[in-house]
Amino acid sequence: MLGAWFDYTVNGFVIGNIYALLAVGLALIYGVANLVNFAHGSVYVVGAYVGWAAITYLGTPLPVTLLCVVVVCALVGVGIERLGLRPLHGASRIAPLLATIGIALVLDQVVQLIFSPDPRAVPMQVPDWRITLGGGTIGALDLLIAGIGLTSAAVLYGFLRFTKLGWAVRATAQDSDAAKQMGVDTDRVNLVVFAIASALSGISGVLVGMYYNQINPAMSFEATLKGIVALIIGGLGNVPGAIGGSLILGLTESYGIALFGTSYRNLFAFVLLIAMLVWRPNGLFAARRSLPPEPMTGTFIARSRPLKVPSWAVAVVILLAALLPLLDAPYLLQIGANSLMYAMLALSLTLVAGTVGQVSLGHAALLAIGGYASGLLALDAGWPVAVAIPAAGLITAALGTLLVFPAFRLTGHYVSIATLGIGEIVSLVILNWTGLTRGAIGLGGIPPLEVFGYDLGSVQGTYWLCLVVLVLLALLQVRLLNSHLGRSWRAIRDDSVAARSYGVSGDRYKALAFGYGGFAAGISGAITAHAYSYINHETFGATISILALTMVILGGLGNVVGAVLGATLLIALPEAFRFLAEYRILIYGIVLLLLIRFRPQGLMGTV
Amino acid sequence: MMPLRRRSILTGLVAGAMASGPARAADPVFVGVSGPLTGPNAQYGAQWKDAFDLALAEVNPTAAHPVRYVFEDSQSDPRQSVAIAQKFVNDPRIVMELGDFSSPASMAASPIYQRAKLVQFGFTNSHPDFTKGGDYMWSNSISQAEEQPSLADFAVAGLGRKRLGVIHLNTDWGVTSKNLFAAAVQAKGAEVTAAEGFLPNERDFRSTLVRIRDSNPDGIVLIAYYADAATIIRQIRTLGLTQPIVAVSSVYSPKLLELGGDAVNGVHVITTFFPEEPRPEVQRFVASFRAKYSREPDTFNATAYDTMILVSTLVNQFGTTRAAIRDGLSKVRGVPSVIYGTMQFDQATRRVEGARYKRLLVQGGKFVLWQGGTPS
Repeated sequence: MLGAWFDYTVNGFVIGNIYALLAVGLALIYGVANLVNFAHGSVYVVGAYVGWAAITYLGTPLPVTLLCVVVVCALVGVGIERLGLRPLHGASRIAPLLATIGIALVLDQVVQLIFSPDPRAVPMQVPDWRITLGGGTIGALDLLIAGIGLTSAAVLYGFLRFTKLGWAVRATAQDSDAAKQMGVDTDRVNLVVFAIASALSGISGVLVGMYYNQINPAMSFEATLKGIVALIIGGLGNVPGAIGGSLILGLTESYGIALFGTSYRNLFAFVLLIAMLVWRPNGLFAARRSLPPEPMTGTFIARSRPLKVPSWAVAVVILLAALLPLLDAPYLLQIGANSLMYAMLALSLTLVAGTVGQVSLGHAALLAIGGYASGLLALDAGWPVAVAIPAAGLITAALGTLLVFPAFRLTGHYVSIATLGIGEIVSLVILNWTGLTRGAIGLGGIPPLEVFGYDLGSVQGTYWLCLVVLVLLALLQVRLLNSHLGRSWRAIRDDSVAARSYGVSGDRYKALAFGYGGFAAGISGAITAHAYSYINHETFGATISILALTMVILGGLGNVVGAVLGATLLIALPEAFRFLAEYRILIYGIVLLLLIRFRPQGLMGTV
Repeated sequence: MMPLRRRSILTGLVAGAMASGPARAADPVFVGVSGPLTGPNAQYGAQWKDAFDLALAEVNPTAAHPVRYVFEDSQSDPRQSVAIAQKFVNDPRIVMELGDFSSPASMAASPIYQRAKLVQFGFTNSHPDFTKGGDYMWSNSISQAEEQPSLADFAVAGLGRKRLGVIHLNTDWGVTSKNLFAAAVQAKGAEVTAAEGFLPNERDFRSTLVRIRDSNPDGIVLIAYYADAATIIRQIRTLGLTQPIVAVSSVYSPKLLELGGDAVNGVHVITTFFPEEPRPEVQRFVASFRAKYSREPDTFNATAYDTMILVSTLVNQFGTTRAAIRDGLSKVRGVPSVIYGTMQFDQATRRVEGARYKRLLVQGGKFVLWQGGTPS
């Protein structure tokens, strides 16, 4: 038995070793630009494909392959910094983070369009000798990866400590304005850092591709996610810490598998992430326990005057929307119903991210909770659908708030990363809690929509139900925003310290916001579940969270009318432009980037 | 742009039909296809299309009612598959629907098809609940209730294994298959020593394999798709596990050899489709596929091809209305099929039985028929 634990330990180190290559680059970028780079995994995919193309088409030997990868990925890094991030200098702290999400979408799609989603084999260019260690073996490539990870960390550490440019980098990290005054060319420093980190990421992409003899464009998200978890464990911006964090993550996953089985691996990774964020947000290797100060409160709210929509105009639009079913255009109505369901989700997110300033990257989890709650109440407890849906809203409100509660004291980037982790945890719990949720099989045969005997399963019925629910939720939200409660929420967002000194306790008001937001999103998920009749843990995935965020930024954060407009546009336009299907996600990414850059207040303006 | 694109797809088919078609140009009959042409599953939609075009080019010229299809890209996303469903059920030309690819996307659209009394024919939908969505949900997807006992028979009776460690994909398909496999193995007097479920996109299986190794199996069973299977098999070998490996039919793909390299030699696979099988349906399909696309067809191509042949048979034997198609599915007998030999539907399950499983072995970087004997 001891032998097995030795093997699990070795395996933990082997996979941690691979995470380390990713985490070192992320740590470097965070250390200088104060930014969690969500595009890091996409550069890693670019590196993998550049390496594959070089070997396949040019027949390059390993050193030349790596050189190609370094050059291309460094250029991509320079492009990201110069075109995507530098123009955002002076914008709010969360803006560059959202921009890197947009860049990730664009890069992934470009790779997929060029190389197709088919997996490809990367020819092994490292000698294939292996040494036996315990019950398994490790090969030359394991050692090469470890060597590159350790060397790059050591070189970076030395560079930051002992060279002039390194000092400039650290000075920029500490206070970029002061550094600029001392004559440091901070733009150049940032450029150099992005080039180095991206080159490193590209090398890891091609080496990991050789390691598994397989690359595909979809591997970027997983890579980014694991890199970020390792980064948080090691401490944001701590380069040697990143290696330690990666090894700890690898060990945790390996021991998690040893104790509970393979399907628990990622659950362990994300629970570790949340635990670190709550108890040691500075990482395991930091002496300080408090969060580093963030110069701004970390909201992504561009000051703007919201577009005033007169209430008679809103009434006319609602009336027209209510009359739409009379047109007898079921396809149009189905799109309308979809838009309305997403509008409920957008209402929820615009409140949480816009009004209270907690930019959530895991909002789809609330849909999943609502959908499963309502589906299970109707299927297993035999509740009527009309009772199950509001009950699911309440359950989601309670459960959602409870889940996010530990993250209340976090701000800015930390909130986004924590909600991302919580979203993954919810999906993994649904997958693994087979007794309650039926696990991977999913919930089938969910009864169709009906209200006390009236069948609403037709597309007209679904549409009308969604419209009524949405109007009620929106009116309630407008009412809340204009009340004392709304002012308190905005006060917390704009200056939490000032709000606290006026006696506005952040946690309780955040809880109220997440409660209301959870209710709206839960209802949306519940209606979706009954309309679809079948859901599983993948129905409400991470891409929906990103889509919802794009909707509310498009509409204008905090803006109720804007949220509905954003949802309608992003659901209806792709249907109208079906011929652009291949470029759809690419277009989302570009729209997100352009909005962040040129119209951060969205179409309707922030509130 | 859109009409242009669609026309270019259709004209290709029509041109074939016109060239040698019957003198009286019959009105074409339309079927709707909902499937992924973009997004992470795009390769499957592309494979369907190749096979559909091949099948229609063969049957349309001599058919009284030529068939055409309208392919709408759903990205295998339920939000889009329900909108497409509304589009199809309200398009009076469409007499039958094919797809979608994944269970969430297909089953979310089922209520709409059922309500509109339009047949939804899910040819990749092995989820046991798919055809329970209503009496308009039909499928010729390979039933796991049939495949898993066949796999168990290969492992236990064929290869003489008594203790099997199972690694399965943790999805609706993987879990259903694993449960059926475990039951079948038990019925044969052998046992499953460990069953480990992994997530799509996972790449590292070393610790999973330690668990499998420590359960002390004498054979390892893979319930996965070929890409993941290639990764797992490579790691099985680098960890020094030497037990024979047996895998389900979704592992059979020319891509397995490319992604797995030398490590996949000696792996046993069952499959419903094998290009070297001498049966005439298979040989005709393989030869015409190679001629048209100059590459090897795989199981996805074969299933899609079978499906389009079935559509043409239904339309020409039973009529060109939605009701006639529904009626025809319950009556049709002996439709020629690459996968099944001949196809007919079980009235209770609305599925096809009797897939023919071949036992294969990877030898020298090629799939060959397994000739019996104990594994090396």
